[in-house]
Amino acid sequence: MRNNHGLAAALIALSLTVAGCAEVQRASEDIARQSGNPRLAGAIHGVGNVVGSLFPIGYDEESSIGQAMALQVVARYGGVVDQPELVRYVNLVGRAVANTSDRPDIPYRVAILEHDSINAFAAPAGYIFVTRGLLKQVRNEAELAAVLGHEIAHVSQKHILDVIQRSKRLAGVTEAGLSYATSNPAAFKTVIDGAVKKLLDEGLDQEKETEADTIGEVFATRVGYDADAYVGFLTRLRDLKGDDRALFKTHPNFSARIEAVQKTIQGKHLAATGVVLQERFARMTKRV
Amino acid sequence: MTPPRMLRIVLIVLWISLFAWSAEGWAETVYVQAKTAQLRAGKTSLDAVVGNVKFGDALEVVGRDGSWVEVKTAVGAKGWIFANKTSSSKPSGTNDTLAKLGQSMRGGDASATTASAGARGLDKASEGYANRAGVSARDRDAVDRMTAYQIPDQEVEEFLREGGLGEYAK
Repeated sequence: MRNNHGLAAALIALSLTVAGCAEVQRASEDIARQSGNPRLAGAIHGVGNVVGSLFPIGYDEESSIGQAMALQVVARYGGVVDQPELVRYVNLVGRAVANTSDRPDIPYRVAILEHDSINAFAAPAGYIFVTRGLLKQVRNEAELAAVLGHEIAHVSQKHILDVIQRSKRLAGVTEAGLSYATSNPAAFKTVIDGAVKKLLDEGLDQEKETEADTIGEVFATRVGYDADAYVGFLTRLRDLKGDDRALFKTHPNFSARIEAVQKTIQGKHLAATGVVLQERFARMTKRV
Repeated sequence: MTPPRMLRIVLIVLWISLFAWSAEGWAETVYVQAKTAQLRAGKTSLDAVVGNVKFGDALEVVGRDGSWVEVKTAVGAKGWIFANKTSSSKPSGTNDTLAKLGQSMRGGDASATTASAGARGLDKASEGYANRAGVSARDRDAVDRMTAYQIPDQEVEEFLREGGLGEYAK
């Protein structure tokens, strides 16, 4: 009997994969349940999850993950800055860059974390954070645009979602609390805590950070900001902190990052437009 | 009709067909690579807006000049668009078919997980997470306000204009 269940589940899995039809899955589950066979219904449900786990995470799921991660980021970094004019300015720069990014069709919001460390983060679905400490190091709007471009690139390239999906597959987890966030909150919390640990403590792969640097540079220059601004910012941080990764513990060292950005500028012929908007930046951020 | 004359006619018809097909096949298409974009009567940001297009719209290229591309929309409207707001490849968009199918397969209930921009209140999943993780009311409120935070596109456009950015570059 058990073999029959397995065979039936395997056949249904095959048909689901071929047909790509969630309705078929749900109907099969219902029929199995109504015919007094809950184990078969469970098997079909599990097969659907296995198949579903192979597909990318949709925006609704991404949004839940991003919001939950944002809660943890805000909690760990001591809350957010409540200065409406400053927050609006930083969001305007973020939106200017995001609107011509490779993923302009989702909402992006930037919050300033009440923290003196020099850092910035991006959670899925467009939740972006910069610390007050980072803003103090920025000298003009073009530098800020490049920093935000880096974070927007993490979102557009779905770096965190990629980490979550890979870790699920490695662990053989198929029902990791994404769509099941409400029905299985313990699993959802495990997923979010793991993703936050990766984001804040361990850091993403260095390749992803380099990719965010180069794509973010392209995003910022698309708007017309000076291509050399980001190099200036990274160089200042290297002069300040050295190359021992003490500052951005989770990123490649500054020299490697500067070199990658310079290669992008040359390879893609990004323009040194001279547009850095230092005065506007100084005016809008004087209370940082 | 003599055979050579018939052959000539067939060749002419073939040539005309090939030309028509080639002209169609070579028409360059670009896609809107920006949340929204404006079509203008001329190739400067001072020219009048003659139409609006949105992310992913396909546009037929009529001509190019510097940072601007003259295009025709699917409904035949013509105008100039800032080149940095276009892409030669079709953007995939956020919620593609595969992602929707995956969520459906995993048994996703969009109404339970969706956090739509502008709506106040954390979604159910995040609320549950906040309870389990012991996130304070202050921090919940901060993320709630962050989720709801919106700036109208028009204000972003004005911000670009003031800074001489994008199509408003001097």
